Amino acid sequence: MAVQFLSWVGNLGAKTQAALIELSRMRDLAASFLYWSLVAPFAGKRGLRRESFAHQLCFMGNQSLFIIFLVSASVGAVLALQAAYQLKQFGALLYTGALVSVSMSRELGPIVTAIVVAGRVGASITAELGTMKVSEEVDALTTMGIPPVPYLVVPRILAMLVMLPCLTVLSFAIGIFGGYLIGVVSLGIDANLYLKASFDALASKDILTGVAKSFVFALLVGIIATYSGLAVEGGAEGVGKATTRSVVASIIAIIVADGICTAVFFYVFP
Amino acid sequence: MNDVITVENLEKIFGDRKVLAGVNFTVREGETLVIMGGSGCGKSTLLRSLIGLLRPDGGKITILGKDMTSAGDDQINQIRRSFGMLFQGAALFNSLTVGENVELPLKEHTDLDPDIIRIIVKVKLELVGLTGFEDLRPYEISGGMKKRVALARAIALDPKIVFYDEPGAGLDPITASVIDHLIMDLSKKLKMTSVVVTHEMTSAFRIADRMIVLNMGRVIATGTPTEIKNSNDPYVRQFIHGEMDGPVSFQTTRDSYLKGLLGTHEQ
Repeated sequence: MAVQFLSWVGNLGAKTQAALIELSRMRDLAASFLYWSLVAPFAGKRGLRRESFAHQLCFMGNQSLFIIFLVSASVGAVLALQAAYQLKQFGALLYTGALVSVSMSRELGPIVTAIVVAGRVGASITAELGTMKVSEEVDALTTMGIPPVPYLVVPRILAMLVMLPCLTVLSFAIGIFGGYLIGVVSLGIDANLYLKASFDALASKDILTGVAKSFVFALLVGIIATYSGLAVEGGAEGVGKATTRSVVASIIAIIVADGICTAVFFYVFP
Repeated sequence: MNDVITVENLEKIFGDRKVLAGVNFTVREGETLVIMGGSGCGKSTLLRSLIGLLRPDGGKITILGKDMTSAGDDQINQIRRSFGMLFQGAALFNSLTVGENVELPLKEHTDLDPDIIRIIVKVKLELVGLTGFEDLRPYEISGGMKKRVALARAIALDPKIVFYDEPGAGLDPITASVIDHLIMDLSKKLKMTSVVVTHEMTSAFRIADRMIVLNMGRVIATGTPTEIKNSNDPYVRQFIHGEMDGPVSFQTTRDSYLKGLLGTHEQ
């Protein structure tokens, strides 16, 4: 045991170094993404591949819409039930709607949507790019003089940047609707009063911060998913490993970034 | 005849292993040069360096008068438009149809009208004998057909040079021979220079105008197929006759095997 522990401690340095190298490669990919989407089209190079971008948009929407409906409605409903349980003790049952709408838009909408998209879309991006890498398709692309970043990475991350905020706004609405169903049907709150409480409490800042978070999440999931795919080595097994790692890393990144964003919004823009 | 590719003192090191240890050769305009060698001799590394997928650690590669080794990414992409490459596993894009695979380089690198692109795709597919297969997906066709589609894609931009990585790998002898004849036919019809990497003797002697033999990261023989066949070099003889005995033994070294068994790791 002691020896194993010591060797684990001894390997920490090497592990940290490997992680730092990977982070710096992701940063390079992010820089390359920014170059190809913002600078290159104005420097006479071929810009966005519209067909591929449109295809990715449809794919992402179709893939995640139903699950986001289901998950957001459940989260809204559960939130309403749990809030009612506490608020009843203070005779403030009417505020259930306010609590659901504010927490859906500030916190739960963005995070639930991002996690669903990371699992559904991020994983498939990693698996697809990883398979292309393993079967020499990425090499073939490079050899044809078509750099993989503008052809494969840019349409995917841009589609993610457009689609994730859209899905997040939908998730707000569905979450509030889920809370409404519980509030009106099960808790017996008047329908009009519930809606009034929901929307009175909601400031435009709540929605804006939620959408801003979803942009950050989209960039993180996009970079992690495409990087993990293009970094695959070692055949079919490598693709499987990379896909799992991509989803795990995305979820951790989403939660950490959520903490940082919330802190920034709380202290910098009170 | 002009030299279209010149390789001088090419070196590539992986870790502490020198995979290419000073490779020198030239490829002349219009010829078919076959690069031969056993597994692990550096063939693939050489090919990947030629097409710019690997940056060599020393030496110089000149393709059509342009220096590949000192070129930046944009320049390499420019040079790449003047050659095509047929990958070992065909490397077709599975998300695209056969037709879309062939039109990809045309769509990316030219401003041609879609109707003209469609005609060019038809012509290229006709050249490899696959008329009417445009709308199939790569997973719906056989291995030999995939290679032919990949060949049509490689010649889509009318390149001056085409590189082939093991064109017969994974194919039955008849299909492999069909691909070989296609390579010879296209080189003549389109006046292309071909560089073929292979370890299959029949195919190599069938298509080569000249061949080079690689061993341990060095060129050990250069010449016409007849010259190579009559070579006195013991390694070349062993290689082309596929013999077990010769300078290359089955084990790397007997000594390190013993040491490995006894648990000492010093070399």
